[in-house]
Amino acid sequence: MNIIEIKNLSHSFVDGTLGIDGINLSINEGEFIVIGGQNGSGKTTLLKHLNGLLLPTKGTVLVEGVEVSRNIKKARQIVGMVFQNADSQIVGETVYADVAFGPENLCLERQEIEKRVSAALESVGLTQHADKRPHLLSGGEKRRLSIAGILAMVPKIIVFDEPFSSLDYPGSRQVLKQILSLHQSGHTILVTTHDIEKVIAHANRLLIMQDGKVARDGTPDKIIQEAEVFGVRAPCATRLGVEVASWLS
Amino acid sequence: MAELTVFSYRCGTSILHKLDVRFKLFFLILISFTVIKADFTALFIISFMLITVLVYIRFPIISSSRDLRYFFILILLVFFARAFSTPGSALIEWRFIVISKQGVYEGVVVCWRLFLVVFLSLAFVSTTRPSEIKAAVEWFLIPFPFIPRKRIAIMMSLIMRFMPVIYEQVKDTADAQRARCIENKKNPIYRLIKLLIPIIRRTFEGADDLVLAMEARCFSENRTDPVLSSSPKDWVALFIIMCLCFVIVKL
Repeated sequence: MNIIEIKNLSHSFVDGTLGIDGINLSINEGEFIVIGGQNGSGKTTLLKHLNGLLLPTKGTVLVEGVEVSRNIKKARQIVGMVFQNADSQIVGETVYADVAFGPENLCLERQEIEKRVSAALESVGLTQHADKRPHLLSGGEKRRLSIAGILAMVPKIIVFDEPFSSLDYPGSRQVLKQILSLHQSGHTILVTTHDIEKVIAHANRLLIMQDGKVARDGTPDKIIQEAEVFGVRAPCATRLGVEVASWLS
Repeated sequence: MAELTVFSYRCGTSILHKLDVRFKLFFLILISFTVIKADFTALFIISFMLITVLVYIRFPIISSSRDLRYFFILILLVFFARAFSTPGSALIEWRFIVISKQGVYEGVVVCWRLFLVVFLSLAFVSTTRPSEIKAAVEWFLIPFPFIPRKRIAIMMSLIMRFMPVIYEQVKDTADAQRARCIENKKNPIYRLIKLLIPIIRRTFEGADDLVLAMEARCFSENRTDPVLSSSPKDWVALFIIMCLCFVIVKL
């Protein structure tokens, strides 16, 4: 079943720049998609249409068969978005308060909020930091807190915008582990990155974007050889002609 | 990683940590007004009580003094302003500069009061979770339907959340400018402008990102209300504090 259906999607910014141009895309439930592309290729603009942060200039985006612009709140509940800059995503003054922010916006009962926050913190391993102020967390912990904030809203699809940016090796591994565990628990995952090496071993689909269009779409093993044509660095293993290994192995 | 600042909540199990935040906020206001009315003797009593409380809640008085250095400069300025501007019998006289005895007395009392109010607030902040403060403010605003209390509560929460981030940005920008020898420029206005422009720009960019992040998490003013509950010990504390304030004012 297609959980996301994008038909002829275009978006122009106020200054007339075309952010994305005529994208058609279907995403199945449970897929793990990596979206690669140079800076400014339209990756983030595409993601922002999935939960109505941007609305199409032309075309439609359907989430679970419902047009996003018709029920934005529902779309934002289904599509959780983890932003590139964790510092600007974290709004709570404590770790607990931040995770509770989303469920409070959904007007849930206090008991249900507490249940969801505890479960989300536990699943990202931040339970012991519940009373900590977010700015005291490390980069990897902040990214995991952003994920917990999204998990507490019980989304079906989670989109990650450059989840590994500014993270060291252990931080990147922690976040990757988290993404994989979310995929294993049944979430549909979309990850945008300009450095596909960190995550491509786990994806079952690779999209490469260029100038606001989907330039390539298919399984990673078929497309990855062409990645560098579009300004996306291919993994070292591919250059050496061997299978790409996971960053977790 | 950023450091814990003097304005942070510190986990603990003291009575002060356990009191209902609405009562604590009321105590803070009540004692602050009492301090403003207090004379020398009363200030001594309040100071003694406040130091006892700070020690009891394990507030790091000495290490916090470093974070409060700019406040001490402000206090000093207030003292000199009072000392120079209050008329009375001269204590020190040099050309046209006169420092009066009454001025020194007034300066000491005003600074002392300011000092006490600040440390009272620190005792409050370090024993109360920011989310509780936000909830209490929201609760106190219920009788005023024309005030958007939920919006104010969110604004407070964001200020508390982003103050350390902005503080970090100021430090980063200042370091980056020092690395490019900004100290060679002696004009303080030039230096201030060069510091402020990137900070303001980064803050506004951060605000744009924040709006998107809040929208992505379905932000609206129609949200679940915070839960607050009082117990008999809050009422006992209220009785004691009110009696103490009454006695101090009547001294």
